Amino acid sequence: MAPRRDFYEVLGVDRNADQDEIQRAYRKLVRAYHPDVNKDPGAEDTFKEVSEAYSVLSDPETRRRYDAFGHDFRQVPPDVDPAQWARARAGAGARAGAGGPRGSARAEDFGFGGAEGVDLEDLLGGMFGGRGRRRWGPVPGADQEAELTLTVEEAYHGGRRAITLSGGRRLDVTIPAGVTNGQRIRLAGQGGQGAEGGSPGDLYLIVRIADHARYRVEGRDLHTSLPLAPWEAALGATVAVDTPGGEAKVKVPPGSSTGRRLRLRGRGMPNPRGTAGDLFAEVRIMVPQRPTDEERRLFEQLAAASRFDPRGRS
Amino acid sequence: MTYALVRPVRLDLNSYARATGLHPEVVRRLVVLGLLEPVRDARGELCFSPAQVAVAARIRRLHDGLSINYAAIGLVIDLLDRIDTLEAALRTAAPRH
Repeated sequence: MAPRRDFYEVLGVDRNADQDEIQRAYRKLVRAYHPDVNKDPGAEDTFKEVSEAYSVLSDPETRRRYDAFGHDFRQVPPDVDPAQWARARAGAGARAGAGGPRGSARAEDFGFGGAEGVDLEDLLGGMFGGRGRRRWGPVPGADQEAELTLTVEEAYHGGRRAITLSGGRRLDVTIPAGVTNGQRIRLAGQGGQGAEGGSPGDLYLIVRIADHARYRVEGRDLHTSLPLAPWEAALGATVAVDTPGGEAKVKVPPGSSTGRRLRLRGRGMPNPRGTAGDLFAEVRIMVPQRPTDEERRLFEQLAAASRFDPRGRS
Repeated sequence: MTYALVRPVRLDLNSYARATGLHPEVVRRLVVLGLLEPVRDARGELCFSPAQVAVAARIRRLHDGLSINYAAIGLVIDLLDRIDTLEAALRTAAPRH
């Protein structure tokens, strides 16, 4: 478990902030991190942390005890002198050596055994309804959303993938083959925790397909460019084109100019429910940047013989 | 060809109240405030679809977590739903290059 943050730090207020300041900081933070307002998976933990910090600091008595004893204040009997507690804590720390970051000085040191098992969650009554409100039983958790960026190839093939959510939680998810931009993958029960035994919400991963050097994705269709030599474009050819599913052969009809789109039916993104998308290869005529003498001679010969005028106005 | 008659799954007021952990009177109040969408069964009693359980959970979380009163929660929920719709539309609008 990570060391717990100081409650003043959680609320972002000074240690001698007055009650109004504490309330203001709390109100702003819960509005920003409420699990129904902020769908980020990390928001719920922040919300709980803020709620807990406020429940302690909003009451002058618990605040005084928190200032004196820190996070363990609930395990300290009411009539203990803070200075004595600090000494005992330091002593126990020295005895235990490097025995854990906190909790080395326990309530037993004060003859207050048995408090070790007290869970803070029990004391606070969970996230909701704990602050003196009426209890109405379990509240199911909220749904959460996280963005999942995939490459075109990953979206094409699907498969398992380990992801880390913003709260630090790691998940192994199975991505169905052929997910599209904006599609939501539902992970049942992986969302916000329910309170008081309520069922957890769902986590939705929203797929975003990252820009690709070669492919442009439009729905399930893929667009790519097909560089051709001038003679391939003029005479026609069968050339290889890369697709996410492997190499495919495309037949270029004679007389294809730049901009002509050749469709490879079904070579776009697969569709688990229906027909796969298409791949469109757009012709781009390329010329050698530094032609050899032979190529140059042949092009010159062609220029002299040809009466083709691409800018001709008919 | 015969078709089996399937009864739609509906919760009556008491089972809905039990499922959501709310007092039946609170449920009635939420209905009056337009926060829950019940249907009337043949006898005119309030009935709820199971999907309305999650709606009640959201109302409770907003009420308990942000101290929003029930009347204002209607507005908050409408706005949150609108943001959801707009964000979904933004995402599906194919990014133009």
